[in-house]
Order: sequence, then C-alpha cells, then structure tokens
Amino acid sequence: MEFYPLQQPDEIAEREKEDAMGAYLMMFAAVAIGLPLPIINLIASIIYYFINRKKSRFIHFHCLQALLTQIPTTVINWVAVIWGVTILVSDQYEATEIFWAYVVFAAVCTFLYFIVSIVAAYKARQGKMYYFLVFGPWAYQIAYRVRPTDTMQSNEPLNKPPF
Amino acid sequence: MQSKTLRDILVLLTIGAALFAGGYFLVREISKSDYDLSYQVSLEQEEELGNLFKDLIWDKYPTVKDNYADSALQQIAKRLVSALDTTEYRYQFTIIKSKEVNAFTIPGGNIYVFSGLIELADSPEEVAAVLAHEIGHAEKRHVVTKLINEMSMSAVVAVLSGGDPSVITQMLQSVISNRFSREHEDEADKFALQLLENANISPKNMAKFFQKMSDENLDYNEDLEFMMTHPHNNKRIERARKYKTRNNFIAEPFTIDWERVKKELKSE
Repeated sequence: MEFYPLQQPDEIAEREKEDAMGAYLMMFAAVAIGLPLPIINLIASIIYYFINRKKSRFIHFHCLQALLTQIPTTVINWVAVIWGVTILVSDQYEATEIFWAYVVFAAVCTFLYFIVSIVAAYKARQGKMYYFLVFGPWAYQIAYRVRPTDTMQSNEPLNKPPF
Repeated sequence: MQSKTLRDILVLLTIGAALFAGGYFLVREISKSDYDLSYQVSLEQEEELGNLFKDLIWDKYPTVKDNYADSALQQIAKRLVSALDTTEYRYQFTIIKSKEVNAFTIPGGNIYVFSGLIELADSPEEVAAVLAHEIGHAEKRHVVTKLINEMSMSAVVAVLSGGDPSVITQMLQSVISNRFSREHEDEADKFALQLLENANISPKNMAKFFQKMSDENLDYNEDLEFMMTHPHNNKRIERARKYKTRNNFIAEPFTIDWERVKKELKSE
C-alpha cells in the first residue's frame, strides 16, 4: 500500500491546523448539547467530517480520527442510557452491581476520551499527527492512502474543451 | 502492520476489560463500606441503643400483650426466626395498639408491628411477609447504618454514653419513620423472600400484602407511601410475585384463628 508523504508542521497552513483542531473541540460543545442523549456529538462529527475532509489530508485525518473514535464512545454511552431507562420504566430489570459497574466503565471511558481528545486537539493545532490506538492508524490509512483513482484523475485534465 | 493493529485492538480491549473490572470492584467496595459502617457499633452497643428506644416506645405507645393476638404474632415470628441460618440477635416482637399500618425495627433485633397492619392482613402469612422484611433490615444492620448516616457516629456514641435525651427521641423518630434507601429496601425484600421460603411460607404473600395496601389506597405512613407510589415499588411487588421457590416447596399454613386475632385487636 502506498501513502502520500506526511506534511511537517511548518508546511501546514494555520487555517488547516485550526480546522483539524476543531474536529476534536467541536465534539465538546456537541456533547453538552446532546446530553443526556449522546447522539448529537456523533451527528455533528459526521457533518464536520463531510464538510472538511476535502480541504487537506491533514484535516481529513484528524476529522476522521475524531469521528471514528466517537462511534465506540457513543455506543458505550447509548448502552448505558438504554439500560438505565429500561431499569427505570420496566418491572423486569433492576439496577444490579453489573449495571453500576458498567456506568462507571462508561463514565471513565468518556472521561479518558475527553482527555485524549484535548491532547489530540492541541497536537493538531501545532500541526502534528497524533494517533489514537487502533483508530489512528485506521484514519491514517484512509486519509493518506494513494488510491488508483488519484493517479487517474491527475493524468486526466479537469477542464476540457467542449468539442 | 496487521499484527500491530491486532496488538492495538488487544491493548484497547484489555484497557476496557480492566476499566469494567475496576468499576465492578468500586461498586462492590461502596456497598461493602455501607455494611462496614454498621460494624462501628458493636452488638452490645446496638442492644443498649435498643433498650433506650424500648423505654421511649413503652412511654409513647400502648402495647398488646398476653392475649391470643400476641401469641399468634409470637408463633409467626418463631417460625421465621427458626428458619434463619444463623443470627446474632435475640429477636423480640411486639404489637403496638394503633390504627396506623406500619411495622418497624429498632436496634438489637426488636421488631414492632402496629395492630392496624395486622387488622389489614387477611392471613398470618401476610404478616409473616412484613416481619420477614423487618428481620431483613435487622440482619443486614440497616437500622444502625441509617442512624449513623442520618445522625453521625458521634451522635450514636453520645446517646450511648447518656447524652442529650432529645437526640434519642429524634433517633427514635427516624427509626419509626422506617424510611430506608432503595438499596436497603431491595436487600430486605430479597432477604425476606428467601426467609419466607425457608420457613415454608409462600413468598407470594409479600406481593399480596403490598398490592393490597396499594389497591386500598390506605392512609399509610411516609415509608409506605414512598413504597406504594414510587414506580420502583411495582418492581418490588412484581419481584415477590415472580419469586421462584425450590421445586419441592410446599407451604405450611399456620394453625391460627386469624378472625379471632383481628376481632381481639379490634376490641382492644
């Protein structure tokens, strides 16, 4: 697999760095709006990703990393919310120790996610790459991989005469 | 690259599993610390505290003694206490003459049942369900935990060393209000269901009695009101209803003339 070379911090425009940082920071505001239903943050991330991914590979990578990591976080929090609501409304289920352990687990996961997101936002603002476990390399592969269509497009001019 | 990805996934899963295990450990420790709290008061101190409360109760409420209703209550209680695997308490059960539908436990294994509650029950088994629940509060030391939580350990120690009598009255009020946390109510319920089964009394009687109170919309005290109006309590009724007894379970009915018990209490 072939990859585009990584740009160094001094090669990245300030605007790009800000947009890349925004992918992580935007999530905090969205989380606050979305509570107690942790879905707004995911929707916001998807929108942010599709708006910004074409701007540059550096932005694409950070937006995608922020989006991919939000999927498991959102799923973990949704399980907690659905489980909690089920306990509240149903006569069948009880708040067991396993449930409370899961709530603690979800809270710690979210907290850790916030911490690494802040670090990632800071690194992005400096024009640096920052890879999350599993999701970082995955996002890198998608954002920096050289696709066969890329070379085809480069050979074929975009503006053509009418006849 | 693939092996690195696999390794990263494993690391992530390990962190997740460790966080979950940590959460479980934390939850267990929190519930244990509540239990440990009650052990700051020794059994002897608990008995002393119980004796102080008993004096106040005798001053405040008329009790029903040495009649058929009292001996019926002792018969029900005896069956339950003998079904306990082990106990550190010498249980005492007393009927308080009052229209109120209530029962409460004071420290040292002293359980009080209001005559209003007995009159409402249709069978000795229903009263047994209430007693089993109260025994659950005693065995799990909920009363002492509640007193320490509400009044502080130093207040309990002060009362034991002959402190301010108004504090004892305040403590008694807290005990009679019989308002426990949801966790403690659940724990006492589970204990009661098991105890009823061990005593060969159908655990369904618990659901029956709670349901009756709910249906009749009685003028119950704060604790029972909480119990009947909170959605969580439907769950408690449902749990009692669905409780699965052992395969060879056969309920042994009490040989008590229940109508006579009720008549006697009414005429008191």
